[in-house]
Amino acid sequence: MAKTTSVSKSTKHGRSESMWGYIMVAPTIIGLLVLNMYPFIDTLKLSFTKTKPFGLYKFNGITNYITMFTSAEFWRANWNTIYFCILTVPLGVFLALVVAVMLNKKIKGQTAFRAIFFLPMVVAPAAVTMVWRWMFNTEYGIINTLIGNGVNWVTNPNLVIITCSIIAIWSSIGYDAVLLLSGLQNISKSYYEAASLDGATKIQQFFHITLPMVSPTLFVVMIMRLMSSLKVYDLIYMMVEESNPALTSAQSLMYLFYRESFVAGNKGYGSAIVIWTVLLIGLVTAVQFWGQKKWVNYEV
Amino acid sequence: MKRLKKLTVLLLGCLMLLALTGCGASNDGKTHLTFQIWDVAQRDGMQAVADAYTAQHPDVVIEVQVTSWGEYWTKLEASAISNQMPDIFWMHTNEILKYADYGMLADVTDLYADESSTYYEDHFSEVSRSNSQGSDGRMYGVPKDKDTVCLVYNREMFDAANVAYPDESWTWDDLIAASQQIYDVTGKYGYMAYGDDQLGYWNFVYQNGGYILAEDNLTGGYTQPATMEAMGVYIGFQKEDWCPDQNYFAETSPGTAFFSEQGAMFFEGNWNLLNEMLNYPDMQGKWDVAVLPKCPNPQSGDGRATISNGLSYATSAKGKNREIALDVLRFFGSEEGQRIQGESGAAIPAYNGLEDTWIGVFDQFGYKLDVQKCVDMFEYGVQSVNNAYRSVWKTKVNDELLRIYSGKVSLEEGLAHMQEYVDTAALDD
Repeated sequence: MAKTTSVSKSTKHGRSESMWGYIMVAPTIIGLLVLNMYPFIDTLKLSFTKTKPFGLYKFNGITNYITMFTSAEFWRANWNTIYFCILTVPLGVFLALVVAVMLNKKIKGQTAFRAIFFLPMVVAPAAVTMVWRWMFNTEYGIINTLIGNGVNWVTNPNLVIITCSIIAIWSSIGYDAVLLLSGLQNISKSYYEAASLDGATKIQQFFHITLPMVSPTLFVVMIMRLMSSLKVYDLIYMMVEESNPALTSAQSLMYLFYRESFVAGNKGYGSAIVIWTVLLIGLVTAVQFWGQKKWVNYEV
Repeated sequence: MKRLKKLTVLLLGCLMLLALTGCGASNDGKTHLTFQIWDVAQRDGMQAVADAYTAQHPDVVIEVQVTSWGEYWTKLEASAISNQMPDIFWMHTNEILKYADYGMLADVTDLYADESSTYYEDHFSEVSRSNSQGSDGRMYGVPKDKDTVCLVYNREMFDAANVAYPDESWTWDDLIAASQQIYDVTGKYGYMAYGDDQLGYWNFVYQNGGYILAEDNLTGGYTQPATMEAMGVYIGFQKEDWCPDQNYFAETSPGTAFFSEQGAMFFEGNWNLLNEMLNYPDMQGKWDVAVLPKCPNPQSGDGRATISNGLSYATSAKGKNREIALDVLRFFGSEEGQRIQGESGAAIPAYNGLEDTWIGVFDQFGYKLDVQKCVDMFEYGVQSVNNAYRSVWKTKVNDELLRIYSGKVSLEEGLAHMQEYVDTAALDD
């Protein structure tokens, strides 16, 4: 009798506990379902439809996907996006690491330098791009004035992605460096002391202590940078106007999606592009997670 | 303890509810109408027209809201889907067919039926009325304003190169000769011909007797001989020394180049002139306005044309304040409403005979711009090109034009592609 009471009591207690748990996480879960999951499923559905204005649509099977995979513009956008990633991710993360290591040294005005490097992060990306656009202007920009050459930074089809990458790296370096800095500061000083007693040079210390110890943070930074690079949109949208002859050479997947969905009003086709981009990001991230086993060190 | 928890939850819940309903209506017993526009330069003018209405109807409050052009249409479409459109909003020729044909706009054909059965015909030009009609020919907006494309030129550069200012007798040949002369003498660009439709090649096409859309408003006219010839001329301008190329225009708009005194001429919409006077005070007196040069030997017609567009005021077909909104529209389309709009300098009123109200606004400047020329051109204005599928072919045609400019396709190939894009857009529906 006593036993049953206690069991029923504890279940009742447990039930009310878990109910409170659900109530507490409900706002987040509901938010996720309403703001993330529902639109995602809707996008998936839209990708199999021919959309008309005002939310009307009719299903048309995989027509959008067939159109997409046979479109040269789509493959070009894929290449542009991947090229942008190749340019920004390895170099950007490497430079961020260099900056982080330097900021980790005891130098005068350390805090000031950290703030300066973080500054691009607090400026609106649109404003950043506006300023860079003027700096890269062929006729009147400061960069061409300095190098004394009429380089078409923004309108040369072979250069435009490189130009965008420079801005992307400049904007992201500070944020990545701060993340990496937090990783660096977790490395115990005793490793370095031991290493220097054994006669290891600074370079050796970097490759054998710093790099392995910071690798978990480095991995996170790389994943984040790669995802945001695959989704690049605002930067290219601001740099490359519709009147730019190099438009097709700069158009990223998300830019193509924007133009198809909101300029041409073809939201079904636009959704197919989004679904493809999600798969692409998923694939690249999966490869990264598989690859991390080879280089990321989780032992302290 | 438990009670305290419950109380907290209750309180939190109330707070959330409050936050959700925070955007509800106010309780002053008046009807609050929202009036959505996209041009911040016209905000004061629109507020003046709205205030004139509310002065006569103290139980109505009209709030003017401005959303940038880029966001305007995304927002309006979303609000149409959820039946939460603003009570009154601007309509543009690019979009009106879509909204009207899908039943989103209130039919205002009979808005003035008690006054006159031919109110629109009596007071608005055919171009203005066409710009407010749906595909079924009924009125889905009250004409707001009308505009033309004009030639803007730098007087100082003309003086320096010793070239006579452009006038009604000017033809394309004079435009080219003047550009060359100015370039040779001053080293500045002449006429800046950039990759634009309304402010660019459309004008040349219609002057030459060509067309972008055929009579049926479905078939394209890009491979029509007069169109091809005019586009060849227009696109060819960028090969001349005196005209910057499309790479230049991708970074520097012709307006920016003109007002930083890098070029002598460009085509401008009259709706921008007032702002340009205000924004470039140092340039006042250095530039002026002329009619568009005509085609010297058109394949048909008299060689004159300018693209004339216009906006209209519209309201939702299903809005909850529909009756009051319609009454406001009625006022906006009346002589009084249109006069206030003109006097505010917002735009040339669509209402015939009120053009001078807009011209008068330019009296405030020391140098009087010859804006009468913009009004003179209504005589041969051509309605801005549009059909229900324009959004489908617009970007494709634009991209193709850029490919012609960058030499990826020849003029003939490019125009053939454009023709195909326009023709198939209608079939694809």
